[in-house]
Amino acid sequence: MKHGRILGMICLIFTVLAAPTSLFAASAAIDPAALVAAGFDHYRGTASISRVEMRIQRPTWQRTMRMQAWTRGTSESLIRITAPAKDVGNGTLKRGKEMWTYNPKVNRVLKLPPALMSQSWMGSDFSNNDLAKSDSILNDYVHTLTGTENQGEHTIYRIESTPKADAPVVWGLQRLRIRDDHVILSQEFFDEELVSVKKMTAHEIQLMGGRIFPKVWKMRETGKTEQYTQLTYLELTFQDTLPDRTFTRNALIHGGR
Amino acid sequence: MGTIVECNGVSKSYRQGKLVVPALAEIDLCVEAGGFMALAGPSGSGKTTLLNLIGGLDDADSGTIRVDGREYARQSKAQLADLRLHRIGFVFQAYNLIPVLSALENVEYVMLLQGVAARERRRRAREVLAVVGLEGMAHRRPAELSGGQQQRVAVARAIVSNPSIVLADEPTANLDSKTGEGLLHLMQRMNSDRGVTFIFSTHDEMVMAYARRIVQIRDGRIADDLHKASEHR
Amino acid sequence: MIGNLDVVTMELQLAWRNIWRNPRRTAVILTAVIIGVWSMVGLGALMRGILIGMIQNNIDTLTGHIQIHQQAYPDDPAIEHSISDPETWMSAARDALPAGSRWSQRIRIGAVVSNARHTRGAILMGIDPAAEARLSFIGTAVTEGAYLADGDTGGILIGRALAQQFDTRLGRKLILTAQDSDGEIVSRAFRIRGIYQAEMADTEKGFLFVNRQSAQQLLKLGNRISEIAIRLPAHEMAVPVANDLKARLAGSPLRVRAWPEILPLLKAYVEMFDTFILIWFIVVFVAMGFGILNTTLMAVFERMREFGVLKALGMRPGRIVRGVLLETLLMLVLGIGAGNLLGLATCWGLSITGIDLSAMAEGVAYAGMARIITPVVWIRDLLRANLVVLLLGLLVCLYPAIKAARMTPVAAMRHH
Repeated sequence: MKHGRILGMICLIFTVLAAPTSLFAASAAIDPAALVAAGFDHYRGTASISRVEMRIQRPTWQRTMRMQAWTRGTSESLIRITAPAKDVGNGTLKRGKEMWTYNPKVNRVLKLPPALMSQSWMGSDFSNNDLAKSDSILNDYVHTLTGTENQGEHTIYRIESTPKADAPVVWGLQRLRIRDDHVILSQEFFDEELVSVKKMTAHEIQLMGGRIFPKVWKMRETGKTEQYTQLTYLELTFQDTLPDRTFTRNALIHGGR
Repeated sequence: MGTIVECNGVSKSYRQGKLVVPALAEIDLCVEAGGFMALAGPSGSGKTTLLNLIGGLDDADSGTIRVDGREYARQSKAQLADLRLHRIGFVFQAYNLIPVLSALENVEYVMLLQGVAARERRRRAREVLAVVGLEGMAHRRPAELSGGQQQRVAVARAIVSNPSIVLADEPTANLDSKTGEGLLHLMQRMNSDRGVTFIFSTHDEMVMAYARRIVQIRDGRIADDLHKASEHR
Repeated sequence: MIGNLDVVTMELQLAWRNIWRNPRRTAVILTAVIIGVWSMVGLGALMRGILIGMIQNNIDTLTGHIQIHQQAYPDDPAIEHSISDPETWMSAARDALPAGSRWSQRIRIGAVVSNARHTRGAILMGIDPAAEARLSFIGTAVTEGAYLADGDTGGILIGRALAQQFDTRLGRKLILTAQDSDGEIVSRAFRIRGIYQAEMADTEKGFLFVNRQSAQQLLKLGNRISEIAIRLPAHEMAVPVANDLKARLAGSPLRVRAWPEILPLLKAYVEMFDTFILIWFIVVFVAMGFGILNTTLMAVFERMREFGVLKALGMRPGRIVRGVLLETLLMLVLGIGAGNLLGLATCWGLSITGIDLSAMAEGVAYAGMARIITPVVWIRDLLRANLVVLLLGLLVCLYPAIKAARMTPVAAMRHH
């Protein structure tokens, strides 16, 4: 079964960029589907370890958390909170389409039921679904190239992705901006009425762990300027693989590696 | 005819707050059946009390009262009620008719309590009303009758069930003398025609004159007992 | 007893005249009794209406009279507690059902419904459209769009309240997410074919209807189902028929429950309401009873002299009690008669349109009540109200009556 909603996030936290395949030369016939695939493949990797800071910005308050993340392929990941002190030890494990959370205070591993999948993840603007569902944009959408723009030496492709009939996705449309080196600059989500719901943007694109990678990611609900969630990669390394035990419930409770 | 009322050593006193007021002391009295007797005396002398005791409306403190051979102290409340219903008729000073019933119905009501059948009741009530001279007023309510007329209805009510004895407490006190005399004539006629014993209380000399026997009560005692020849017939 | 009837007639006549001796006082008692009985009948019917509305509502809203589940489902309505091979069981159960019964197979599983902006938990109902239409409210509840067609695997019916909350409309897409029989999270898109209205907003938000085959496919259930719902020709049949079914299905992995078992809270409500109605009657009566007692006492004291005369004439005490009670009885009967007429007229008036509570639908839904309340007059409630007033009314007047009967004639005649 296919599901999935977004991906962006997955990439950012869970996935790692695999070696970018040399794709499209800036030649005449550009295949938008291939372009999107290449963009997302850019973040797919074999395995990664990262330290990430997440800032949840709200009109009246803000909260910053730090976390450590391990990923392997597209489907396995483990995240553990390292700061602030009161949240240390909280974790999320994802394997395939399933997710578990761990809270040291109650010392229990909870498998997320469907009802909780669309809830906010850690109070942020990302939902559990954003984390859990991948591949949706590749499988459930039809992509159209709507234009290009130039940014310095780079070309940026604007792509509209429309869900296939009866695809199990909530979005009516997604708009992507992908740079010619496969870095996805933004991903905007629209409802069925084609009104924008939220948008994720990439910033501070730089060489990280040997790859061109946006250091900062922002997810913002449309129309709410003072309200967003920002992820900043503090550290990122890529590895060929990680052991199986990293992605177990035991690891969720006791820590990865 | 024998004795219908027999009182032996009857005493009665009332409580007024802490005070015990003696009303009757050691009354011995026999009344013959068919008598026409007055209990005379000033108000407060105890004659109404004696009448009430004879009627079984009140209990004596001591002594025995026997009416028609039955001793009151041995009767239950219900038996006493039945005794009054069948044997004793009452005529009160204040008439005491039932205001919501017509003259005819007031007379009928006693028979109703006795369980007399409706048609019989109606017949006898009309008959008695005719005897007391009120046949034209059968359907009037007490409020539509004069005092004399009301008292006639009361007499009719008292005699309709053919009691052995009629007790009348100051029956003429509220009537003018002419009406009072009319009533006394009526009572006399009942006494002579039907043989009903009448005992009535009065302090009126004129009324006493009608009686064949006058028992004077003073301070709760019998002061005098005068038997007369029946010249007033 | 000679002339018994005629004595009664005369006594009735006397009582009738006596009660009109003081019309004002009688009017006071009558007013008290009329208002009391009117409120008993009216409010009783209203409460009964609420109660019946609640039961009807619940039975209509997918409860039915009887439900059959897999043993463990009622305590844990999880997908693994489904009924395998429902047809076999159905054919075994069919004989127990009285003529005119209707039944339907359903999937009933918790799911999550979402669109781009909203998401919430709801119950996914997989139904056989034709069978379900004859069983529960949904067949006639669609007010926009159309009811589910057989074989329409991609269609979904949602409630008006959900449509409003989700800011969606006919033809739009909703994503259902649930756990399938393997424990995998699965989702699927459905198009809104129809929007239904229910008595309660909670129902409108809480239940989604799709074809049974779609649900079975999505949840990988094969031909397994969650429940068999049965609707009988009459409410009262539920428990006996359920007992029969239990006997027939004994030893099977199935559990049969009649609605009082399915909705124990509702059953408790019904019982509580019953008591509540009686308490209400008594409360009203206590207020009314003091008025009656007071007025009757006054009337008796005023006529003490007359009772003395009657006793002197030879009336037995019991008869005096009877006389006073007869007067009370007459007044009570009059008041009760008028009160009933007034109450029934009020109920009739209110039942033409019903009392629309949708303005406070939130609170009402919380209490599980219907949006429109129609008073329901139960003969039993009516009798109960009348008996309470009649018997307690007489009981209250026993005191003044006995007081009148107890007085010695002399004391009574001297009374003033």
